[in-house]
Amino acid sequence: MIELTLQALFSGLLAGGYYATVAVGLALVFGAMRVINLAHGELVLLAAYIAYAAESRYGINPVMAIPIALVVVASASAIVYALLSRIEHDREINSLILTFGIGIIMTNGILTIWAADIHSTTNPWFQDSLVIADTLFAMNAEVAFFIGGLALMAGVYWWLNHSWQGRAVRALTSNRNAAMLMGVNPRQTEILSFMIAALLATFAGVAIYTGKTVFPSLGHVLTVKAFIITVLAGMGSIHGVLIGAIMIGVIESLTVTYLSASLQELAGMLLFLVVLFVSPSGLFGGRRALAR
Amino acid sequence: MTNALDVVSLRAGYGAINVLWDVSLTAETGKTTVIVGPNGAGKTTLLRAIMGLVPVTAGDIRVNGQSRKGAKTWDTVADGVVMIPEGRMIFPDMSVEDNLMMGAFPRACRAGWKRNKAMVFDFFPRLAERRDQIAGTLSGGEAQMLAIGRGLMEQPRVCLIDEPSLGLAPVVVDEIFRILGQLRADGMTIILVEQNTSRALKIADHVHLMQSGKVVLSERGDAVDLDRLHALYFAHDAA
Repeated sequence: MIELTLQALFSGLLAGGYYATVAVGLALVFGAMRVINLAHGELVLLAAYIAYAAESRYGINPVMAIPIALVVVASASAIVYALLSRIEHDREINSLILTFGIGIIMTNGILTIWAADIHSTTNPWFQDSLVIADTLFAMNAEVAFFIGGLALMAGVYWWLNHSWQGRAVRALTSNRNAAMLMGVNPRQTEILSFMIAALLATFAGVAIYTGKTVFPSLGHVLTVKAFIITVLAGMGSIHGVLIGAIMIGVIESLTVTYLSASLQELAGMLLFLVVLFVSPSGLFGGRRALAR
Repeated sequence: MTNALDVVSLRAGYGAINVLWDVSLTAETGKTTVIVGPNGAGKTTLLRAIMGLVPVTAGDIRVNGQSRKGAKTWDTVADGVVMIPEGRMIFPDMSVEDNLMMGAFPRACRAGWKRNKAMVFDFFPRLAERRDQIAGTLSGGEAQMLAIGRGLMEQPRVCLIDEPSLGLAPVVVDEIFRILGQLRADGMTIILVEQNTSRALKIADHVHLMQSGKVVLSERGDAVDLDRLHALYFAHDAA
């Protein structure tokens, strides 16, 4: 019983790590631009399919496909940004409509190119099991991408707190006009945050392709999950996103272990509602603090 | 010698609402120019228009003789024109130290940030004590000191200061005006918007009075008669 619980907690932790990698990108763009990119999950999925295409067609190891996927996802992000930045009025609501539409187009583009089949890596190493302390099981891919994801998020956290451009993202989040008075060019900073979100999305996409399965409708599932985690964390708090993601991962994993796999999504949503009921501004949303 | 700032027949506002109707004024290099006037006269809007935060519909803004009309805020900042907004415009979610670091964001200011920060902490020892505190938890006076310190980190050649004494206790106002007097003595070009006329006049080389989006009086600081200024100030308000 104890072992089963520990295993559930461990699996939840690993799942939370990859949820966080998806959600931090969403939170970063929201922080810099006050825009929720509803196509973010589709960008993650795009990376996963690029890894699939590279592996199935050219036999490239999914990890080696990361740079190729990054170029594609970054280009797609740049197009999303270029369209977003043309919105002149009511950016908050119009950006939702625009990015939602882009998400639908991307899902159907993926469906047209790669069909509705479910795919996962064919490289056995990723799905070989790894045993930790004789009791905890995981796939190599899950552990590798969990550690990689944490390192990447730590890098983003450091960048936000200790680099000139990272501080500018936080300043923009905090007070847009004041940031401009400090010489910040918002467009430059926004596009930079989009590119970092693209990097996180690429990494998450390849993690999903190697550790789980991908299919065209997964994009919006990821967007919704990332959005829930971001709100749960309190819009824009990076360490809040990590904790919120792990909470969602753990509660889903406990539900699968002790109740039923079909209740997995419900459990995450219930947690979300309970947290918002108790603390409407999220876990760490007292202030709109990015990376604090 | 060219003026630090020439504003020529400036018309500006927020979309459909025009605030500045026909503003012309100058500020000499190395001098302190004070702009006074009642609430809603357009003083803050004028500063924001100079910084490119408010669109200009007619007229011109020249800094050191060069037109800055339509320039981007960040380019204006890079050219050494700095606006110190009121204390509420600090970054509330960032620490005092990170706020100051943002002041050093313009490329030309990055190399000297350590020296400039030491200077700011000399000016305002209170900020040094609170360097790790989240700026949103500072008192009104401390927030104003932070806004000024952050502006000084930008190494201003022309420094626009918006209402630095607004809502502050007299003892804090004393401290802020002491610092402004020191900056003036150091030869900084200052354009100060202030409602506290009697205080502001003491450090003014030149005074402009604004009323309903226009400049209605321009005089040398030592020629201004406070009673007459106040009479004008209120007369137009009632009209």
